[in-house]
Amino acid sequence: METKNMMKYVSIFSVVVAVGMSAYVGYASKMFSYMSEDPKVCINCHTMNTEYATWQHSSHREWTTCVECHLPQEPFVSKILAKSRDGFKHSYAMTFRTYKGENIRISESARLRIQDNCIYCHDEIVSQMIENSKLYMTAASSEKFDRKCWSCHRTVPHGTTRSLTTTPDNLGIKEI
Amino acid sequence: MKKTTIVTIGSVLVIVPLFLLAISINENKAEQKTITAAAHAAQTKGDVVPQIKKFESRSSEWGKYYQRQYDSYRQTRKSDKITDMLIDYPALVVMWAGYGFAKDYNAPRGHYYIVEDNINTLRTGGPVDAATGPMPTACWTCKSPDVPRLIDKIGELDYFTGKWARHGSEIANPVGCADCHDNETMRLTITRDFLKRGLDAEGSLKAKDATHQDLRSLVCAQCHSEYYFKKTKWTDKNGKEQTAGVVTFPWDNGFSAEAMEKYYDDRNFKDWTNKVSKTPMLKAQHPGYEMYKTGVHGLNNVACADCHMPYVREGGVKYSSHNVGSPLDHMANTCLNCHSEEEKAFKDRVARKLERKTELNKTAMDVIARAHLEAGKAWELGATEAEMKDILQDIRHAQWRWDYSIASHGSFFHAPEETLRVLGSSINTGQEARVKLRAVLAKYGAGDFAAPDFSTKEKAQAVTGLPYQKLVDEKMTFLNGLRKEWIEQQKAKGLYDPKAWEDMPFNTSYAPAE
Repeated sequence: METKNMMKYVSIFSVVVAVGMSAYVGYASKMFSYMSEDPKVCINCHTMNTEYATWQHSSHREWTTCVECHLPQEPFVSKILAKSRDGFKHSYAMTFRTYKGENIRISESARLRIQDNCIYCHDEIVSQMIENSKLYMTAASSEKFDRKCWSCHRTVPHGTTRSLTTTPDNLGIKEI
Repeated sequence: MKKTTIVTIGSVLVIVPLFLLAISINENKAEQKTITAAAHAAQTKGDVVPQIKKFESRSSEWGKYYQRQYDSYRQTRKSDKITDMLIDYPALVVMWAGYGFAKDYNAPRGHYYIVEDNINTLRTGGPVDAATGPMPTACWTCKSPDVPRLIDKIGELDYFTGKWARHGSEIANPVGCADCHDNETMRLTITRDFLKRGLDAEGSLKAKDATHQDLRSLVCAQCHSEYYFKKTKWTDKNGKEQTAGVVTFPWDNGFSAEAMEKYYDDRNFKDWTNKVSKTPMLKAQHPGYEMYKTGVHGLNNVACADCHMPYVREGGVKYSSHNVGSPLDHMANTCLNCHSEEEKAFKDRVARKLERKTELNKTAMDVIARAHLEAGKAWELGATEAEMKDILQDIRHAQWRWDYSIASHGSFFHAPEETLRVLGSSINTGQEARVKLRAVLAKYGAGDFAAPDFSTKEKAQAVTGLPYQKLVDEKMTFLNGLRKEWIEQQKAKGLYDPKAWEDMPFNTSYAPAE
């Protein structure tokens, strides 16, 4: 009888601790900030400092934010799924320190997304190019052209050289 | 199992990873704070300057304030392998016959070993007191931050006068902080005046115009350059005439192999006379800076430090690594900062560059060594000075160009085109000498003379008559005698830094007699 009572208190206590701990981790990791689309959320950790700084000094700063290029714009479900998957990968890399050197490189799936977003905004300018490119499609290539916009527009939007070393004065984020 | 137990276990399974995650998050946040603080300090030019005295040659004293830089600098001791180049390339023994390098020549090791290796090499011999031994004081010049200190104390001309052993009790520390940094501001600074004189003579970048980015290469160029010991007469304070051998960069006509060759020819300068061929020779030291300037990185003003001292991150703190070595060892922090390619592709390309150089390098060495031996035979058969004059000039130029192109570290990478061009010109000039030699040999009835075998270090040293074991014995006597006295004197003067000599194993290409 006594053991049973004690176990009851222990289990209640442990549930309270688990809930408290979850709340604390949520608070410490600024969990809810990730619901927003503010670019500063991307520099909650320092890994993206350079990417933030280079974007902040680019023309795209006036028009787009990180997520507007890096996440699918629609449908909403794809956007949330992509955000969750990227978020998980970034947290994993940050926690287990799997980032290599001072450089981060984008994944293939994210590349495709960005390409879509380039076209999404610059549709009027590139629509004819897309039509033309269909003439050169082969069975092996994907439905869109293989080359990416930034194969030529190399400096858009983060500059050609981007690593921690190339933005030495932007380690601490300074608002313009 | 009871419901309560399941709930408890379930909760604990949640709590433990969350707890670890919370720790990790807080660590990362602390790092973020450090980074911001560091950037802030850099922006406000932090007004707290550590107190390090002028000409402090003990790097551990600087290391108290700059631990990360100091610790990374000490990592150069991991580059500790002795590779006997005379075994790998026995032709060198013939090419350097009668000169110190034929005695002992190893591939370079880390900065940590710079003084140790200078003391151990058979080239510096076995002096028994301050006035004996084969080498002049100038041989210390690039090895130690004690050099600018000593020059400041006794004057440049006095420093450059006398035998190597004269400064043995003063040179106590390997290349370190004080060689490149100002003690008050930590700014990069040129501590060797001969670099300033060389730059001003060359003219394309005057020393006083050097920017911070220029200095990130120039502090290296203080030593990683071609130089010779210029005989300079002066009168000491007792009115006695002395001759100093002042380290001088032969840059008056420019940085190229031909420009320096002309500089030396105009002055009838020779480093030594080759014992086999009687050629008045030039020894190229290591024209690393001059070579790098002609390559694609040099032309784009990428500094030595950009690749050899990359920024690294330790926890959240970013600093310039002082573990100077090959950038290929950590490409993620070096090459890949500017180039977006795969590591492997890069490494393969660099390896191919090295292969190309090695191919021509071996050919050049073989040609030049044979030219020396064939010239030796011609003298033996009674060839005259007039017959040999042009030939010797060709040999001199061929070997100078060969040496210029390969003597600096990584010339094959810094300036592959220039390296191969100069090697090509060396091979051509060497073969010119051999064509002319064939005619002379034929005249004296030895048209079919074939050079003796120099395919191993021992054979080559026998061909050139080098008393190897005697040199080793003299060196060991010195290391067990005078060298030990120097250390005691350094300790008495407060120059000796135990941290600079910690775990220093005796490691040389020669083995002492049992």
